[in-house]
Amino acid sequence: MSIIQQVSNASLGDNWRTINIDLLDPDSSSNFDTSALHPALDPVSEQDVRALGQHVRQQLRGGDAEGALRTALENAPYGGDAAAKEVHLQTVTEVLQSIKASEMTPMLQRIFGAPGGGELLDVLMKYLYKGMASSSSPSSSSTPAKRAGSNLTPQSTGFSQMGGRPGAQNESSGAAMSVLLSWHEKVVDVAGLGCITRCMTDFRKV
Amino acid sequence: MASPEVHHLFHHPIADHSFSADKQTLAVARDTSVELYARTGNGFKLKDELKGHDKTVTSVDIALKSGRIVTCSQDRNALVWEPSPTGYKPTLVLLRINRAATSVRWSPSETKFAVGSGARAIAICYFEEENDWWVSKHIKKPIRSTITTVAWHPNSVLLAAGSTDAHARVFSSFIKGVDERPEPGVWGERLPFNTVCGEYLNNSAGWVHAVSFSPSGDALAFAAHDSSITVVYPNGADEPPRAVISVSTQLLPFMSLIWNGESEIIAAGHDCEAYRFKGNERGWQLTGSLESKGRAGPGDAREETAFNMFKQMDLKGKTKDDTQLKTVHQNTISTIRVYEGSGGAVRKFSTSGVDGRVVIWNA
Repeated sequence: MSIIQQVSNASLGDNWRTINIDLLDPDSSSNFDTSALHPALDPVSEQDVRALGQHVRQQLRGGDAEGALRTALENAPYGGDAAAKEVHLQTVTEVLQSIKASEMTPMLQRIFGAPGGGELLDVLMKYLYKGMASSSSPSSSSTPAKRAGSNLTPQSTGFSQMGGRPGAQNESSGAAMSVLLSWHEKVVDVAGLGCITRCMTDFRKV
Repeated sequence: MASPEVHHLFHHPIADHSFSADKQTLAVARDTSVELYARTGNGFKLKDELKGHDKTVTSVDIALKSGRIVTCSQDRNALVWEPSPTGYKPTLVLLRINRAATSVRWSPSETKFAVGSGARAIAICYFEEENDWWVSKHIKKPIRSTITTVAWHPNSVLLAAGSTDAHARVFSSFIKGVDERPEPGVWGERLPFNTVCGEYLNNSAGWVHAVSFSPSGDALAFAAHDSSITVVYPNGADEPPRAVISVSTQLLPFMSLIWNGESEIIAAGHDCEAYRFKGNERGWQLTGSLESKGRAGPGDAREETAFNMFKQMDLKGKTKDDTQLKTVHQNTISTIRVYEGSGGAVRKFSTSGVDGRVVIWNA
């Protein structure tokens, strides 16, 4: 009763149709606590992730690309905040971009064959999807002039339709995407479709 | 290896199937009814139709000794069909759930059955003599989402359930006056109703599609939507399990699994074929498919002649007819059940799937 009372008092002057009623229902799926769906995650600070990134880059400069990839994937900062995760995504992307196309499949097979290697490729797949999701976002913010010039008021629908043709003005993001796509193809060849289903079900997000 | 016995019943998904003890009757859940097929020579012929539900039937189970059939449906009801000389007589069971019933199984003692549901509850149903009806008791805690599947322990007291909250759980469904007090075992010593004997989750946390106790009842296997199977070896009440072994595969997720002895599991699902796992407490691994690869698919023989080649090119613009899978099932396998076996070892098992086929395999 009290909840109904509070809500109606608070929303008398408001646009009450915009209230998300699902949040008020304790049984609703939007109130489902997902923290029980993964093991306890140790918190990781952004500094630690940056330090790890430095270590990975050193390995990379030392010519040990496979070791760098392994280190980056074995230490995925599941418990970090969004900024820390973003930093680690940068690290992984750098490693991926520095590996030649001809080396991808043999390297993936070596990692997959090693004990616990399947798990590493699952983590790699998570980074590939995260990379694909985020490499399109800078393109929408890089065209403010175009937006301001149009009479239409763009609404944030979550889709970046104003980004223009990929590759035309966002050549760098297009190139990054093609690297991620070719990695994706090769990871599926080695680790199978099970790798993708685990990306979808796993609540340890990168 | 003898080739599997394929029965293509109709072009409609089969949610669940069950054979009677003498294997002469096959019950198949089709849409809102359950069809009963009788064996005639090499095939199965439609014999009877059990119409009582008004929404999709999700699960069906035939009790091996009594021959009673229990069905459950998205209309939130379960029906017990009593065999009689004039056909099957339905009795409605009071489930008291407000969401679809998803899965039903008779206990091995056949005095109870369990119904999983979307109402985050499992209804344990038993017959009350004095009122002459089936009543239910609910297992609710600590279920946090839909129950997708239930499976019984051989002692008819312990029940395993898989849920969309990614947990497989083992409960006690002990009901006074119906059950014998169970022997203390690896799952616990005192087992009042709704005791949670185990709660398991694997790292990648997929929805659980199937659960099954090993023939001895001392191990539990479950298959989840992360394309994995997980085997749990418990270690008595309030102790962490001796071993929890998770096998992540390169395949699509499994929908159903059975044990063959204590050291083998057969699982099938979205890859449309059955796979074998072998192992023990120290480790489990996928050993391969049960279908012989390279076998000519049903459509391969026709394409030999030049006439057919040109006909295909004319009709479809290509010479190869690649609309058929190489597997016997042409779509997801939803249920796998033991067909014939003794002492926990499986000689034959049956599968049914979305393609309307029921197939009997040699294990």
